[in-house]
Amino acid sequence: MGTERRGVRIADTFAEAFDMRAARVVITAATPAWARTAALSMTGFATSVIGCKVEAGIETELSPADTPDGRPGISVLLFGVNTEQLGKQLVDRIGQSVLTCATTACFDGLPSAPGRVAVGGLLRHFGDRLQSSKFLEGRRYWRIPVMDGEFLVEETFGVQDAIGGGNLLILGRDAEVALAAAEAAVDAMRQVRGLILPFPGGIVRAGSKVGAERYQHMTASTNDPYCPTVRGRHDVTTALPEGVNAVLEIVVDGLDRAAIEQGLRVGIDAACRPGVVEITAGNYGGRLGRHQFRLHGLLDV
Amino acid sequence: MNTLRITGGTVYDPANGIDGIVRDVCIADGQIVADVEAGRTINASGLIVFPGGVDVHTHVAGGALNFARGLVPELHRAARTFQHGAMPPAGGRAGAAGSLRRAGLGGVTPTTFATGYLYAGMGWTTVNEAAVPILTAKHTHEELHDTPIVDKSCLLLMANNEIVLDLLEAGEVERAQQVVGWLMWAAKVYGIKAVNPGGVAAWKWGRNARALHEPVEGYRRLTPAQIIAGLAGIVDQLDLPHPLHLHCNNLGIPGNVATTVETMQVLEGRRAHLAHLQFHAYDGEGWDSMRSGAVAVAEAFKAHPQLTADAGAVLFGDAVTITADGPWQHLLYQLTGRKWGNLDVENETGCGIVPYVYKDRSVVNAVQWAVGLELLLLVDDPWRIFLTTDHPNGGCFWRYPEIVQLLMDVEARRAQIRKLPPAAQQRIMLGDLDREYTLSEIAIITSAGPARALGLPQKGHLGVGADADVTIYPAKPDRDGCLFSYPRYVIKGGAIVVEEGDVVAVSDGREFVVRPVYDDGIEDYIRPLFEQVYTMSFENYPVEIGRLRRPALMTLAAKRR
Amino acid sequence: MITLTLVEQPAVPLEAEVVRPDVVAGLSAEAIRALPVFLGRRQRRLDDFFRVEGDGGDEIEVRGDAGRVKWIGRGMTRGRIVVRGNAGMHLGAHMAGGAIEVLGDASDWVGAEMSGGLIRVQGSVGGQAGAAYRGSASGMRDGTILIGGSAGLEVGMRMKRGTIVVAGRVRDFAGLQMKGGTLVLGGGAELRTGAWMLRGTIISLHPIPLLPTFAYACRYVPTFVRLYARHLQALGFGLPADEADGAYRRYTGDSSVPGRGEILVWSPRGD
Repeated sequence: MGTERRGVRIADTFAEAFDMRAARVVITAATPAWARTAALSMTGFATSVIGCKVEAGIETELSPADTPDGRPGISVLLFGVNTEQLGKQLVDRIGQSVLTCATTACFDGLPSAPGRVAVGGLLRHFGDRLQSSKFLEGRRYWRIPVMDGEFLVEETFGVQDAIGGGNLLILGRDAEVALAAAEAAVDAMRQVRGLILPFPGGIVRAGSKVGAERYQHMTASTNDPYCPTVRGRHDVTTALPEGVNAVLEIVVDGLDRAAIEQGLRVGIDAACRPGVVEITAGNYGGRLGRHQFRLHGLLDV
Repeated sequence: MNTLRITGGTVYDPANGIDGIVRDVCIADGQIVADVEAGRTINASGLIVFPGGVDVHTHVAGGALNFARGLVPELHRAARTFQHGAMPPAGGRAGAAGSLRRAGLGGVTPTTFATGYLYAGMGWTTVNEAAVPILTAKHTHEELHDTPIVDKSCLLLMANNEIVLDLLEAGEVERAQQVVGWLMWAAKVYGIKAVNPGGVAAWKWGRNARALHEPVEGYRRLTPAQIIAGLAGIVDQLDLPHPLHLHCNNLGIPGNVATTVETMQVLEGRRAHLAHLQFHAYDGEGWDSMRSGAVAVAEAFKAHPQLTADAGAVLFGDAVTITADGPWQHLLYQLTGRKWGNLDVENETGCGIVPYVYKDRSVVNAVQWAVGLELLLLVDDPWRIFLTTDHPNGGCFWRYPEIVQLLMDVEARRAQIRKLPPAAQQRIMLGDLDREYTLSEIAIITSAGPARALGLPQKGHLGVGADADVTIYPAKPDRDGCLFSYPRYVIKGGAIVVEEGDVVAVSDGREFVVRPVYDDGIEDYIRPLFEQVYTMSFENYPVEIGRLRRPALMTLAAKRR
Repeated sequence: MITLTLVEQPAVPLEAEVVRPDVVAGLSAEAIRALPVFLGRRQRRLDDFFRVEGDGGDEIEVRGDAGRVKWIGRGMTRGRIVVRGNAGMHLGAHMAGGAIEVLGDASDWVGAEMSGGLIRVQGSVGGQAGAAYRGSASGMRDGTILIGGSAGLEVGMRMKRGTIVVAGRVRDFAGLQMKGGTLVLGGGAELRTGAWMLRGTIISLHPIPLLPTFAYACRYVPTFVRLYARHLQALGFGLPADEADGAYRRYTGDSSVPGRGEILVWSPRGD
């Protein structure tokens, strides 16, 4: 049975998503621009855990009233396969991109999470014995002397269970339509707290399938059922309906089901535009990921 | 008349060959008698009957200890308190006035009244204050005056007394002996103590005396070995009931096994009592390699049968180190970096105080803990080595029951060893020792042996004529797992002073004082010298016998040569 | 709530550590009246000195000039005490949780060796607030002490963690041998502030005399001060932290120990 919204077919399927571990980092700086500079540097090259070891992105801007030190800030979410890997990524990225960035300070955005990893506790060694700490309301902060003053970084950061790999596939009449719809979806999804869209601009043009037909060493390869130029080949089983000439994917990582559901919901709605034939989602029959997001279920709200 | 019969108890009286026999113990007029007719009876069936404990080496009274009390107010805040109050009448007799319990503080440096209550509460009835400077002997006697129940003796510091050292250097041994005799009687003490011979005199120059055969700082020829031999000889010539009581050179230093063994050789067959032997039984070259030297020390000790010793065992927890060994105390202060007190006693000695905590996760402390037990277990003859912690240096005296438990229970020992840092476990041999002390052996190391070594024939046993100091213990370990923590009854001089763990009566103990033989004419030698070098007036120096509470005088006869 | 109204001034200071929620919670007024207090060496009843109304709960109100009543709130772990008047020595000593508010003055040793909770005195206090008792290795280990008036000698002596704020002036040796925590001096200080300091932070809103063993480092607004400003604002105390208004001159010391502590002295813009 089909469902339509504004002439766009919504496939009766589900997006399959995976258990991940997540952390939230609050970066503050003297100006919003400097906070964003640090955040962008920190979340660069973090599109997929497969090749980048972490998936990261900007969650939202924070006004001075909402940051621990009353300065402009940005919150960043990072998603990893396990706590240890995530912890190492936090230390590396905060160390290389936030510590080094003018005027910044760095705080834990998940203070209640019982899982903790050492961040400031390790970065403090950069202070070469000249560092000190302050303990306030149950949290320890390290003050590392740097050339423009002090870099303040919290000793531990919280890590919690999260979900990664929620997705939408936007099947468009042509590439231009598909892109406009995907951009609209990304704009809408970026307003939702608790999630990030790790790929460039939030959009994946090179969606992948698990493994490969020809090359044994490939853990992932092009998602040929959704690739328009190979429709019709005898060795490709296309998934493209008639009239679709381009597909773009949006991948979303979220702190919990509610965030991903809301993200997918507003994303689907924003992508239902003229020229979009169908919106569907990717899954592995439920064999790989523990979480499933039925598209029809989202629209029932 | 005051008669008492203790019936049905299992009696341990090793001095009289009684090893766990159920028999009656009868008391009249403060002494053990063969039989009594009327009077109170204590039913001790199922209980253990011991002679009252005798502590051969402890620091409980005087200037050094009081200075230590002043140095640790934070420990007093955590200490057990004794409230001023009336006790119930003794024996439950209505109408009779009970004793007054005086206020006091327990902890690591108990106050005077509390000291008596704590010792008695544990079943110890005789206590030997091990270090008294002549100059401040009045202070010691004042505090002993206010230490109730237990009988006391005290030892006079002599091995750094500059008048005596000058005489020894000059070879004037005879005159030195007269001076020592005079000083003993002036101070009203029981025996002679030597602490770090020459080292405390050297400390007045900021130095120490580490080598037994090298001249002491400030002297041309005099060596620690000569002081030791000289004083041991003088003690023998004076025929004192207790031999020279010696705290050897190089206390606490890794590798001091060599000094301890060398000291035994210097004594050359003379009597001596080696104090807190644990602190003198370390092997190794430094703190990083420090390990147990108990095997070597025990071997040498066994080969010198004229020596006795006390263990000076360490217990994990709070302690305060108080010794006349000024240079050692300064070193300990530098290791801890916390509090330190140092006193100089003009012309005579000094003292150093450093509060200390023995930790089971410290490799050095773990080795120290093991060495005390190793010595007690390696030396087969319990008549030669006695239970002490050099209170409060190694641990508080009121924790002696914990050591008794470790000596009697090899599994408890091994359980504690397993908790020690692995590095420490490799530096001790305690785990190899299977021996478990019997009750009879415990009675020897806590009572009969020290009494014999002190030369107190009326103490440490339950034969007819002995002082009626009796402790009755439950046969099974109490709530803290220790057999000896809470005696059911403690009898001192025939009076029940402790009943069911509470002090119920207070008596005044006696203070044993020896009057040695010396030529009164020696005062003509001492007085002008004293007036030249002391800041005090000569008339104020000697202690009047009236300052002591219930002195028990032993007047010695001249020794036949 | 229990109300204790002082009706009989004790001739000598009264030791009343029973006045804390841990003791009175769950007790009837009758039982509370019989609680022991010590007048010198004599044990008396609480109602020999206080009129007791209400039933035991987690809140206690003390009314009257209790300036001679010692140990109120000693070692308390929860609940609330309000003193509508003055309080005596050792207020909240060894406190671990809960809150105490004094509308008048308090005496020496407020919050000594406390490990948690909040003490607020609207008036002035004596010496040794948040300090170590003689011989102890450390003073307050955590918690917050806020003083609206002035304070005496050795405020925060050997404190290890926690926050003390004095709006008024302090006397000599504020932060003596400090090992950690934060001491805010809102009204100036007399001599030897931070003597023998090992670690920790003293923030002074006014210039104060400094020991020669403190070295000047720089002028800046440390980010962590912003955290403290926010924390203290919620408690009703204003701490400057805006670069637009000025900056802190940082002095490190006490090099005689040697220590790694700091004294931050507010320097308004234009200075």
